[in-house]
Amino acid sequence: MTLTQTPASTTLIRSEPVQGADPGDHPSVIALRERFGSDVRRVTTDALGYPVVWLAPARNLAALRFLHEDPGQSYDLLADLTGAHRGVGMPIEVWYQLWSMRHGRQLRVVCETPLDDLTIDSVTSLWDTADWLERETFDMFGVTFRGHSDLRRILMPENYEEGFPLRKDFPLRGRFSRSEQVRRCLTRSFEDVYAMRELELAGYTGDGASGLRELQPEERLEDASTEELEGEPMLINMGPQHPATHGVLRLVLQLDGERILKCIPHIGYLHTGFEKTCEYREWNQVVPYTDRMDYLAPMLYNIGYAGAVESLLDLEITPRCRVVRVILSELNRILGHLLWLGTTAIDIGAFTVFLYTFKERERIYNLHEAYCGGRITTSVTRVGGMVADLPVGWVDAALDFIQSFPATLDECDRLLKRNAIWMGRLSDIGTISAEDAVSFGLTGPNLRASGLAYDVRKARPYLGYEEYDFDVPVGSHGDVYDRYLVRLEEMRQSVRIIEQALQRLPDGPIDVDDYGVVLPPKSEAMGSIDTMIAHFKLVMEGLHVPAGETWYSIESSKGELGIGLISDGGTKPVRCRFRAPSFINIAALPYLVQGELVADVIAVNASLDVVLGEIDR
Amino acid sequence: MPGARVPSSGSEMPKPLNVIGGEGTELDTGIPRSWLTTKIDYVVNWARRNSIWPMPFGTACCAIEMMAAAASKYDIGRFGMERMSFSPRQADLMIVAGRVSYKLAPVMRRIWDQMPQPKWCISMGACASSGGMFDNYTIVQGIDQIVPVDVYVPGCPPRPEGLIYALLMIQEKIKGETLSDSSVRDEAPDSVGRPNLPPEAIELVAQPFGNSTKQNRMSGLVQTAAVNRPRDRKERLAEHKD
Repeated sequence: MTLTQTPASTTLIRSEPVQGADPGDHPSVIALRERFGSDVRRVTTDALGYPVVWLAPARNLAALRFLHEDPGQSYDLLADLTGAHRGVGMPIEVWYQLWSMRHGRQLRVVCETPLDDLTIDSVTSLWDTADWLERETFDMFGVTFRGHSDLRRILMPENYEEGFPLRKDFPLRGRFSRSEQVRRCLTRSFEDVYAMRELELAGYTGDGASGLRELQPEERLEDASTEELEGEPMLINMGPQHPATHGVLRLVLQLDGERILKCIPHIGYLHTGFEKTCEYREWNQVVPYTDRMDYLAPMLYNIGYAGAVESLLDLEITPRCRVVRVILSELNRILGHLLWLGTTAIDIGAFTVFLYTFKERERIYNLHEAYCGGRITTSVTRVGGMVADLPVGWVDAALDFIQSFPATLDECDRLLKRNAIWMGRLSDIGTISAEDAVSFGLTGPNLRASGLAYDVRKARPYLGYEEYDFDVPVGSHGDVYDRYLVRLEEMRQSVRIIEQALQRLPDGPIDVDDYGVVLPPKSEAMGSIDTMIAHFKLVMEGLHVPAGETWYSIESSKGELGIGLISDGGTKPVRCRFRAPSFINIAALPYLVQGELVADVIAVNASLDVVLGEIDR
Repeated sequence: MPGARVPSSGSEMPKPLNVIGGEGTELDTGIPRSWLTTKIDYVVNWARRNSIWPMPFGTACCAIEMMAAAASKYDIGRFGMERMSFSPRQADLMIVAGRVSYKLAPVMRRIWDQMPQPKWCISMGACASSGGMFDNYTIVQGIDQIVPVDVYVPGCPPRPEGLIYALLMIQEKIKGETLSDSSVRDEAPDSVGRPNLPPEAIELVAQPFGNSTKQNRMSGLVQTAAVNRPRDRKERLAEHKD
């Protein structure tokens, strides 16, 4: 059970070279046109250059099945499934963002469902990850997925009465007054707080004062009639206020003794309406919101969002800015992994590591503070550049950090790696194979622990990651222990990247030389009338981003972070979609803990490295 | 001790009580005059404020700063408060760290109801105190609509020092409490699960202001000047000419 650095047997997944500028040349588009003829309504190009296939909603299942199963296509990763609403009265688009591990190909399929018939076939039979994503699309847009086994609200309360929040006809603050919202949330009945499915598990009928009925004999466990084991499965509720769920996650566990029969996660307790609120903010005003989604590694979100808007603008950032973003990305990857290491160690029972990791985190926070003044909520990026250039002495401080940090990391590793309790609690639990992991849409360290070397930094390099020399660690078993090994090795690789980046950090400006995008310095704004007008327009109207759409992804510390944006040429996004890796990863929890002991739920849940701000958004 | 109530009759101060031994008596320690008289309020408050068990109700970013406050560098153990009680029934102080959604609000109220008196509440961060930058359909616009709050900590998120200062303020607040005023700690049985404020007050404190001046409740529903996109100057000039 040792981890090797990118074994020779594992091939890195890389994107295939771009065929040509015309989206019609894409092999998948040609194949789809051949098979589905006029059902392919049109083919457009994304801001990043890959094709978008607009498909008749009635044929979505057939076309996606072809794309999934045909060996020439084999789109095995459903990276994202979401909706988009461009305006009141417009049809609701359902986006399927696909990625093929085998061919290294990216494709988006979009189905426009008219408002009077918001029904579309479910694709849960093709990808497991579609389960929660379709529930979210139903919750936010009201699109009904035919054939989905459990289509109910996921982020909002089960019986939310106000409507579908991400539709354009839904007011930002909801339909009811604030006092009515408070009154309703505090007087929710039994059925609103608990899902009917779990109430049925507990024997709830909905009539009578207590609402609970006696379980019928046939509902009991099959072997419940034997003398050794009498009784019924036990239902326990874990969370939303629980120290080991890493936030306000609620798990309903059905137990047979200590074995888990069924685990139903409930999310949405931290639903913050990011995607709706961002539609009411100007492009640069969205940046502070991105911090607060993944508050364990905030700059990764800042950098991902800025990159997405820059792809819409078709803007090339300066060489210095690229390197600075790489340095900050990797620092934040370390920051996120360190918090994961510390909290996981506490969950398993090792307190020392928590103190060690927080000591190192404070040092990274000091670097954050020196750069932007904030510890957690950094908001460092602006479209076209950064909030400021690196302050004097920052590079030396960062060098100092990465020189002494590996020693602490090794110390933590020595405390844990061969620790009998650690190995005993972590080995061979929560195991998932690479195929299942892809079907569940796992990305990041969770996927790589299962042995698949898929890393966005290598597959579709951004910010010039192809110029850096680093390895992608992969595991062999796909269990919790492998996820630990992979994350620890990733921190070492991040240190390598930062070392190289600090060495090659070029001089020059950090912002692009375009005052239509970045704010001119005050001295220049006061010096010439053109610059002053540019300054005035940026401040008063905001940045105008050309009409278009993009789905830009980066490798966050949790997995693949995808940012889907639609612009209509205005100063605010029409749709701001965040494909949060934690949301997809936590959906695999029921599968991972099936049949494990109840104490292992803590370890498996911790190993997924979820952050609730990102899950619930 | 908590059962002791000193009757407050008019302006008469509570009678000082002997805590260790009676007047003129000596304890077995052999040290003469090893007794002191004090107010029971003082002793009770002294005991309460130096052994607060916080119940961390951490939801979002602020919870990470709360963890940092408990970790090696800031170490709230120095104030006798490091014993985080994850069970509300053994806690004195609820620290609400982070944004609270309407889905989570009944959970928070239930936890508050489960905590025995005496209890205090810290609202940590802008989101918990006022909804912060999330003036939208899902976030409670200040947890004081749901539970009573003793100390609000500004910041997004507040630094660990901010939380520590709030804990010291809670200690100061406890210092000033008196057992003779039972109304401070009385709870009406029917307040369980109820909002902390009447509907009119909720409407008042949730009024849009600050970053929301451009919005109203109908934003996005009807075309008002507030929701119109800023147009290009040329476009407006052309309109003006017609």
